Amino acid sequence: MPKTPHYDAPSVMDQGSIWILVAAPSIWAAHFLVSYWVAAVYCAKSTTGALGGLMEPRWIAVWLGLACIAVIAWLGVIAVRRYGGVFVIFEEITESSERGRDKFIGHVALLLCVLSVVAIVFTIIPGLVFNEC
Amino acid sequence: MLSGCDGRHNWMAGAGEESAQVKTLFIVLMIGAGVIWSAVVGAAIYAHKRGAHPNLEREARQFVIWGGAVLPTVLVGALLVWGLIILRDITADDGDLTVRVDGERWWWRVIYETPEGDVITANEIRLPIGQRALFRLTADDVIHSFWVPALGGKMDMIPGRETTLTLTPQTLGSWGGLCAEFCGGAHALMRFDAIVMEPEAFDTWLAEQAEPAKLSADNPGFEVFQAEGCGACHTIRGTDAQGPVGPDLTHLASRDKLGAGMWDMTPTNMARWITDTHEMKPDIDMPPYPHLNGARLDTLVDFLMRLE
Repeated sequence: MPKTPHYDAPSVMDQGSIWILVAAPSIWAAHFLVSYWVAAVYCAKSTTGALGGLMEPRWIAVWLGLACIAVIAWLGVIAVRRYGGVFVIFEEITESSERGRDKFIGHVALLLCVLSVVAIVFTIIPGLVFNEC
Repeated sequence: MLSGCDGRHNWMAGAGEESAQVKTLFIVLMIGAGVIWSAVVGAAIYAHKRGAHPNLEREARQFVIWGGAVLPTVLVGALLVWGLIILRDITADDGDLTVRVDGERWWWRVIYETPEGDVITANEIRLPIGQRALFRLTADDVIHSFWVPALGGKMDMIPGRETTLTLTPQTLGSWGGLCAEFCGGAHALMRFDAIVMEPEAFDTWLAEQAEPAKLSADNPGFEVFQAEGCGACHTIRGTDAQGPVGPDLTHLASRDKLGAGMWDMTPTNMARWITDTHEMKPDIDMPPYPHLNGARLDTLVDFLMRLE
């Protein structure tokens, strides 16, 4: 039985795989969910009730956010290096080829990475502004 | 539609520090939105009139990226931070005086915290000018929202939780307050007056409110009050009437309005309130007393109108 060619069975984050498209928004969603959970549980258990401090959960959201941004930055590098993604496509991609598809996936993945980073920063900001639950 | 923007409910009146902050935020937003809208429409008209210029496509794409993605992100981020700072300031947990307000269906239980103990009143809030009042808000059974538009922002009142809001009045006068979250049948009739006073006058008023009612034990009006069972729901401090369900009536007649900020405090309105309660305010828990009339009703009304 012949060995399966590489392009028929792409690895998770490699040329031909589309998982990179959902990776960054999924990280954003996970960060939002974890930040919300941590703050909600912390405030519910706070001995000072609704006016309990947000000092602890805010730093969890910040450090977790920075870790998420680092992972998304790594995804961005993959989108550029393995998929040939660029921020701005000046010529239309009309070519029906592996290269054309990869370039389009890389481009979209790169934009989603930027969107996800902005969204994570926006999630962190309220925690930094507010001191109370 | 703009009737709500006028007079004592005018949220742009700037009668409080907090409402002035919200007003500034609104004006900056409106001016910014106007500038952005004009720029977008202007660019569209310009592009339409000039026609296509393929050799300028690179510049056009850069314009879209900077003007359509980067600039909005930065602006929205800056507005988010500014808005959050305002929200933090108007919900801060400190004030020169503390007032607890409990949203009921469909009235307001008001409790002033003083070093001598709680002073309980209802349906009217008086505040000293220039002093920051901290409101601790909660609700009895459904969600309400506490809002004095002319003085500051609004805040939800949630059963089982306490939310906070600060108001720092800057203009003397009687400002309108209302429930801003639909809470059932008489939601639109759930109002109150927020009266801003000079600090000395406020201190005098608060000291008077802390006093028990001044009436003799054999007051005929109080006898009617008790015989009809009013004391089972209402409290008149200094008497046997200690019902905790309805508004505290100890100084009822000192309030400007009747029925949670709805009608002027007059004998005629008071009599109608007692006999045709649900005509004046549908769905409320207080039952009407249509059988009361003549001298007996007059005696009760006279008694209530003397609770100053």
